Amino acid sequence: MSINGTTRRDLLLRSFLSPAMGLGSVALRALLTQDAARAGVLAAKQPHLPAKAKHCIFLLMEGGPSHIDTFDPKPKLAELHMTKFQKERNKFEANMNTGERYYVKSPFTFRRAGKLGIEINTRFEQFADVVDDVCFYRGLKAESVNHPTALYHLNTGTQFGGDPAVGAWTSYGLGTENENLPAFVVLPDVAYPQGGAANWSSGYLPPHYQGTPLRPEGAPILDMAPPPGMSSERQRANLDLLNKLNTLHRARHPEHADLAARMESYELAFRMQAEMPAVVDLNREPQATREMYGIGSPDKEVDAIGRRCLLARRLVQSGVRFVQVIVMGWDSHDYIEKAHGSRITAIDRPIAALLKDLKRTGLLDETLVVFSGEFGRSPDNGIRRGGEAWGRDHNANAMTVWLAGGGAPRGAIIGATDETGGSAVETVHPLRDFHVTLLHLLGLDDNKLRYLHAGREKQLSQTGGELIKQLVS
Amino acid sequence: MLRTALILAALPLAALPLAAQDSAALYSSAIRPLFEQNCTGCHGNGLVLSKLDMRTRDGLLKGGARGPALVPGQSASSLLIKMVDGSGPLQMPPGDASKRLPADAVAAIRRWIDSGAAFPAPTAASTVTDKWATYKEEDLWAFRPRKHAWDSSLSVDSFLPPAPSADRRTLIRRVTFDLTGLPPTPEEVTAFLNDKSPNAWPRLIDRLLASPRYGERWGRHWLDVVRYADSSGYSNDFERPNAWRYRDYVIRSFNADKPYDQFIREQIAGDELDATNPEFLIATGFLRAGPWEHTAMSVEAVTRQLFLDDVTHSTASTFLGLTLGCARCHDHKFDPLPTRDYYRFQAIFATTEFARPQVPFLPSENTAGMEAGRAHMKEVIAETQRQLARFDMKRKDVDPEKYEEFKLFQKHFQLHKESADRFEPKAFSVSSGPRDGETDGGPTLKYPKPSDYKPPRVHVLPGGNIQSPADEVEPGVLSLVERYANFPAPAIPTTVAGRRLALANWIADPRNPLTARVMVNRIWQHHFGQGLAADPSNFGKMGKKPTNPLLLDWLASYFIDTKWSVKAVHRAILLSKAYQSASLAPRRLEAEELRDSILAISGELSPSTGGPGTFPQINDDVARQPRHAMGSLQPLYRPSARKADRNRRSIYSFQQRSLIDPMIEVFNGPTLDLSCERRESSTIPTQAFALFNAQFVHDMALAMAHRLHQSERTPEARIERAFQLAFNRAPTAEELRAVLAHLNAMTARHAAEAAPARQQPKRVVHTITSELTGERFQFTHPDDPAEFEHNLHPSAAPPEVRALADVTLTLLNSNEFVYVY
Repeated sequence: MSINGTTRRDLLLRSFLSPAMGLGSVALRALLTQDAARAGVLAAKQPHLPAKAKHCIFLLMEGGPSHIDTFDPKPKLAELHMTKFQKERNKFEANMNTGERYYVKSPFTFRRAGKLGIEINTRFEQFADVVDDVCFYRGLKAESVNHPTALYHLNTGTQFGGDPAVGAWTSYGLGTENENLPAFVVLPDVAYPQGGAANWSSGYLPPHYQGTPLRPEGAPILDMAPPPGMSSERQRANLDLLNKLNTLHRARHPEHADLAARMESYELAFRMQAEMPAVVDLNREPQATREMYGIGSPDKEVDAIGRRCLLARRLVQSGVRFVQVIVMGWDSHDYIEKAHGSRITAIDRPIAALLKDLKRTGLLDETLVVFSGEFGRSPDNGIRRGGEAWGRDHNANAMTVWLAGGGAPRGAIIGATDETGGSAVETVHPLRDFHVTLLHLLGLDDNKLRYLHAGREKQLSQTGGELIKQLVS
Repeated sequence: MLRTALILAALPLAALPLAAQDSAALYSSAIRPLFEQNCTGCHGNGLVLSKLDMRTRDGLLKGGARGPALVPGQSASSLLIKMVDGSGPLQMPPGDASKRLPADAVAAIRRWIDSGAAFPAPTAASTVTDKWATYKEEDLWAFRPRKHAWDSSLSVDSFLPPAPSADRRTLIRRVTFDLTGLPPTPEEVTAFLNDKSPNAWPRLIDRLLASPRYGERWGRHWLDVVRYADSSGYSNDFERPNAWRYRDYVIRSFNADKPYDQFIREQIAGDELDATNPEFLIATGFLRAGPWEHTAMSVEAVTRQLFLDDVTHSTASTFLGLTLGCARCHDHKFDPLPTRDYYRFQAIFATTEFARPQVPFLPSENTAGMEAGRAHMKEVIAETQRQLARFDMKRKDVDPEKYEEFKLFQKHFQLHKESADRFEPKAFSVSSGPRDGETDGGPTLKYPKPSDYKPPRVHVLPGGNIQSPADEVEPGVLSLVERYANFPAPAIPTTVAGRRLALANWIADPRNPLTARVMVNRIWQHHFGQGLAADPSNFGKMGKKPTNPLLLDWLASYFIDTKWSVKAVHRAILLSKAYQSASLAPRRLEAEELRDSILAISGELSPSTGGPGTFPQINDDVARQPRHAMGSLQPLYRPSARKADRNRRSIYSFQQRSLIDPMIEVFNGPTLDLSCERRESSTIPTQAFALFNAQFVHDMALAMAHRLHQSERTPEARIERAFQLAFNRAPTAEELRAVLAHLNAMTARHAAEAAPARQQPKRVVHTITSELTGERFQFTHPDDPAEFEHNLHPSAAPPEVRALADVTLTLLNSNEFVYVY
């Protein structure tokens, strides 16, 4: 509340919105939208820069996928396999990464895919078809080797939690194309990741920009459906009584615009309640499309990830600005062949289908697809169960992320790691530069996308960063 | 190589332009540590071989026996590069090829030289000197002495234009919410309306300030600022089983009108004031309120530094309204806060260590539920142990999926054991000197033993980088206060103990220009929705200037003259015409006020206060949602079995950082990780879902309907009473007509359709993907041993009551209920 008198919005609403004038809800919305654009809420906004991407689908691979076993093969490790070495204990290194270590070769084979012959793990059978649309980036460095802090860093620009997520910044910068849906949607895995919902928080930005997790079963949004036994007729009748009471109340306080906005929010909620089930209903897709994504696969993981990917496409198509798809389980300290192998199989078909489908529907040009974990994995491992259960530990110095669509280069490998994959050595950039680049591809200038909070100008990169020009076509 | 061919537009690294300050930052973050690990052992620290000193820029430019080590801007012609990349006359560091610097290190040195080979500016370590005298006077207002003394001939209204008064019904609702966070009862409204004496208003204020509900409301404001939570956050989100005692300490302190200067001393230095006083030890929980975690993946020195940074920021922003954190890496951009001051301030905490001492329960603490709580937790742990006993993990050929299940129970065992400490007389506290060995769960830090403990030395860390310490500093306070307020800086002892006490005394000194202003401004904000200075935790240049600086200073002086009485400040504000104005904008209830008011008017609010946090009814999908803990899953969220525990005021809800009650969150509740100086009140559609559809609100609407049905005989009387409870007024004739018609229509509808039967709670089985095998396995959460006391269910209510619940639900959703004028 404010004691500073009247805002422009008060005046607008006071002059035009008395119930007696019978202004329809469309006109009301138009007014609120004009005002919203000024006040910075959900209405679509002009980007800072000309950009192809209007939407983003962020495929978050939680746990830290191994670049060495997916998109950045290291034949040198076959030579070094099981070579023992000692990593000194050091007060600036986590205990986990020190002591007696062994190099570990990748248990996977690699193949050249696409016209460009990009090397990828052979188990990417479907994904091999789309690598010519993908720009792999091997120069990124994270800073933390601790899951929650690294996840916060990737998702929110700081390691501490409580700051706005990339999706929240994007929604704040661009608004949404469909007011009846949230601007930023999260499609979590079965379990929430470490650090929980702070990974898709709006932080100090207004809560309109908060990521809304859609639930795979039941009501897609929390409490979108009333408890059992409440029929829609009764709910409508209650809503009508509520409108009646609110209208009478408002007539006694014509000077307070918040009252009208809150009345409108109930109507908006129930439009969302009406529209959302259709958006999330995957049965509206042709059987062939569903199969392409792996829906119905006997592999339950393929089916579940396929559903999230197809839903992501439908949400983007319906005007949602930013969709984050989360796939958990990449933290393969042990048994990497089994553990990573099953992850790769689980994502292969769904993610390949997503890219093909976006391309087929013409959405790929305006949709930036990002694939990233919170860090990469180490070429070496502590000894595991007598040396049989090879895996890899965390590695903030090297990882592979990829981009597709939305103004990213097609068919490219940018940057490189050293011969064991331990460290990025070419076109090396910290995460903040990656954030600046993602915003740039979405038409947003990190230095202009600021929010005054508690007397400080805040931005995603914290203190500014450098555009990774090679990731912009 | 194929890869090289594909690097489409790869620029050589050296060609990327880097600004001068980035060059210096690169030095601090990468180059200096590199030099220190590989070079300065022979070239600078003690030894200056070949006459080369690599510790300073001058030393590098001057070079050694072979000439200058580098040419800024020209890495290719710099000797240093030739030495380290193998192209020069010698290899450095010397030895076989394995000693060579890795390629990325050489690339970084090249990049640094090409960007000018800048060192951090030496001014980054200065105190406030004449360099800082360029600050504009208007930006220094908060650091200057107060411009207005307290003067009994003046009042708040002397500083503000006159305003017509609101009606008395509005006033009692307004002040009751503001002071207690709850609506007045219909009886309290009637009594106030009938009190025709001129003292009715001051008497009402005194009654409310004396109510224990006052501390619950104002304690919440304080907990927002300090980021109170019952768990540590991050990966494991371990419980802080004794933190609740700090929460109750805050509530007690507000209720007792503890002098604010004493409140400051206790929270910053209670253990140093008197380590035998339980209250004082509990108070220091303030210093540990931020998120904290140490795991096998954390670096111990980093974990420690994060704590030091956290406590430095939060002390400065809570009590002084300063964004001192901005001076961590470089001198503050806008305010006279040099980095040196940051680290001097931080050095005050260098000897502060976590402690969890035995501290007997106080008579004022609620220990009533302890026995039952202990017994319940014992049973939960025993069940986990029974589950663990099913696995034989000694065999070598353990099935990985079995192992995953075993790991889950192991984690639960670890978490539950931590939780069991809730009922033990310990304090979430600190001590000066070596720690007592207690952590917040997880691996223990290898702290020095008591016998060889020495105060750690503190250095300025340019760029905030712990790997490149610069000048050593001694503990000290912020130099801006001495410079601008003429309040001489006290010496902070360099001994192990006494540093924090000296700091607390400096903050709590009436001559400190910030302390009183910051607190009265926070109080003002919670009465008017906006502070006199609108950024209550930023009194620097970037914070908004006070709209009425003389009033702020007059109030701050009054605060000090009343021996720092918070309640005296409330009275001065609440007795003003400005507060009683008819034109105060309405405010939406804060999340906890909303939940607490729903409980209060439905008759379900539990009167119990204090003690370990309890678990309210939250959205069931969220309660059953699997949530990761490091390498495992958190146990389920289980609402407290007894209604009296579930339905307590929200301040007594267990505050878990990784699981915030979605009902609180959606109404702009705080994130628990960042300090919340002011609640926003956005309107978003998901709030409508939370209030119109949530099971909790439906249950409370039904409980309210049930009580109305019992206490009133006619539908009209029930509606009238419902309006009195929710809005503190009777319905108008038009409202009564509309609601009665609705009630009749709904009664007919409910009579025609039976309520659905209560769904029996199902066992929660989670299907999880194994991190070992990537395959799915099922995990069945054990049942809660406690017998659950259910809310009233529609199937147990007659149609008239269910119809009345449609009415009460609607009232709970109405603007008149949700806004206070």
